Amino acid sequence: MKLLEYEAKRVFSGYGIPVPKGVLIREPEEVTARLPELGDGVVLKAQVDVGGRGKAGGVLMADDASAIETARELFSREIKGVPVREILVEERLPIDHEYYVSIAVDRSSRQPVVLFADAGGVEIENKALEDESAVRKVVVSPLLRDIPPFLMREILGGAPKELAPVINSLYHVFQEKDAMLAEINPLVTTLQGVYAADAKLVVDDNALARQGIAVNRDLSEREREAEKHGFSYVELDGTIGVIGNGAGLTMSTLDLIEFYNGRAANFLDVGGGADQERVMHAVKLVASMPGVNVIVVNLLGGITRCDEVAKGIIAAGVAPTVIVRMAGTNEEEGRRLLAECGYRMLESMDTAVKAAMEVSL
Amino acid sequence: MIYGDKNLGVIVQNITGRQGTFHTELMNAYAREAGGRGVVAGVAPGKAGREVHGVPVYNTVKEALREHDATASVVFVPAGAAGDAVMEAAHAGIELAVVITEHIPVHDAMKAIAYAKLHDCTVIGPNCPGLLSPGECKLGIMPAHLATRGEVGVVSRSGTLTYEVVDELTRAGIGQSTVVGIGGDPVIGQTFVDVLARFEEDPHTKAVVVIGEVGGNLEEEGVRSTDLPVVTYIAGVSAPPEKRMGHAGAIIEGGEGDARSKVRRLHAQNIPVASRPSEIPKLIREVL
Repeated sequence: MKLLEYEAKRVFSGYGIPVPKGVLIREPEEVTARLPELGDGVVLKAQVDVGGRGKAGGVLMADDASAIETARELFSREIKGVPVREILVEERLPIDHEYYVSIAVDRSSRQPVVLFADAGGVEIENKALEDESAVRKVVVSPLLRDIPPFLMREILGGAPKELAPVINSLYHVFQEKDAMLAEINPLVTTLQGVYAADAKLVVDDNALARQGIAVNRDLSEREREAEKHGFSYVELDGTIGVIGNGAGLTMSTLDLIEFYNGRAANFLDVGGGADQERVMHAVKLVASMPGVNVIVVNLLGGITRCDEVAKGIIAAGVAPTVIVRMAGTNEEEGRRLLAECGYRMLESMDTAVKAAMEVSL
Repeated sequence: MIYGDKNLGVIVQNITGRQGTFHTELMNAYAREAGGRGVVAGVAPGKAGREVHGVPVYNTVKEALREHDATASVVFVPAGAAGDAVMEAAHAGIELAVVITEHIPVHDAMKAIAYAKLHDCTVIGPNCPGLLSPGECKLGIMPAHLATRGEVGVVSRSGTLTYEVVDELTRAGIGQSTVVGIGGDPVIGQTFVDVLARFEEDPHTKAVVVIGEVGGNLEEEGVRSTDLPVVTYIAGVSAPPEKRMGHAGAIIEGGEGDARSKVRRLHAQNIPVASRPSEIPKLIREVL
């Protein structure tokens, strides 16, 4: 789950990483009372979870006189379709130089990787794609608590040594907050010292509970409902509902629908060992989506019992046609139950998807 | 076959859990049929002295290995403690840990895999179905009846999709040497590169099916690393773009981790890419 900038900065600050003085406001009028803390010249930053926020008009400069007007203006905007409900008002820093630093999970080496660039800022991604040498990548053993000095020297190259403690603190944040990504872009140097001018922190969804985060904000309400039943669920815009077990097989079913020029309405992975109850909830959830006139159920597995699945489908008793392809324990019993109630059970993914195409047309 | 034959001695960690108990029985049924050793001991802290389907239970891996000759462990320990379980196994001398558990925090996975490596322990998974060498041995939860013995290796990030492909191969009369599910998490022990290197050294494997998904670029890395004939299938070409994780993910993955660009890059390397699972047997025949 992604934290907003001000939340990430609170975390960073707690680890001794200097951040600009700032206040969070929810009404334009609040800005006036807080200006004396920040000095003349402020930056107003919309707290929205979108990439390229600055370019999309989510960051505005103001002085004391224009602050309230600027705040009104920013609150009235939508940044890439997201309404602005909170603004972080910060002191404007006399920036000497901008660097880029982030720590992420490197799939290839299965270790944390520190990325550092001497030129930070909004164009970092494009710069990195154009010129690989623009970003230094250094992997660190996950068994080490600190970045050892020899690796820190490699990370910094010719950059000032005063950045080292900030980068090491960011590494502590990365480890202790179960981060998938901890990023400072830009990391700025000023005459007064080093600051994290922006902050990004993404927490591993599998570690939310132990990080004390009760609700995953990245999910929609329907997705959260699905999560409660143990499903992974994504809504799409087609007409053919899809229920599968396992992400790969479910994705593959969607691909097959596209291959036959159909459009899937959703992705729903019921997870391993689905019983009657779970299958019933899954079928009901997908059937409740507007525009769905046929549902393909594609289940395969050692633990999944076909008779349970059949009972779940029958118990759901939904209006859209349900076409079933399943293989596993008690296959014959499942087939018999479904046939008794007039459902179709097909032998392969291909035939099931083709049958669904015919119904959807 | 790779990673072990019928002589492999296996322990199960959290053997008293629902999945651990259920799959211990299935693994041993398979071992009996193949004339192999199968699961010789189980571990569940605080439950020493019990038996699960005739398999003795110990409190720790160390105690289990004191009484039994085993080099592999299948881990069914719940997510919050699974990383620790892998480290315990590696520390006690287990050489191969197959981690079935899903939803392990990625930092736990990184630590456990790094620690296991220090102890020369190979980790498969987490969040994987394990491995199956038809007629030899089964470690994990794959439905064995779909597979037949043969000369094609299968390596996959997916669970059920792997069963689908194995079923397609078997029905087309193409047997498998070993089927390996490496797991769908961002951080996994054995990657395509590692598994393909093992297949390359296996005299029984003549070609390999590589089954990938959206995210990362480990499929391309793997395919590039081997001289064996390879057929690939990538799930998720119709999936909406994966949520980007800031700049770092894009930079690491060269800006692309979606299925379409993966397929493009594989085509560029002249690797056959199946458009759907049912096309795989035909493509395999062409490279064999």
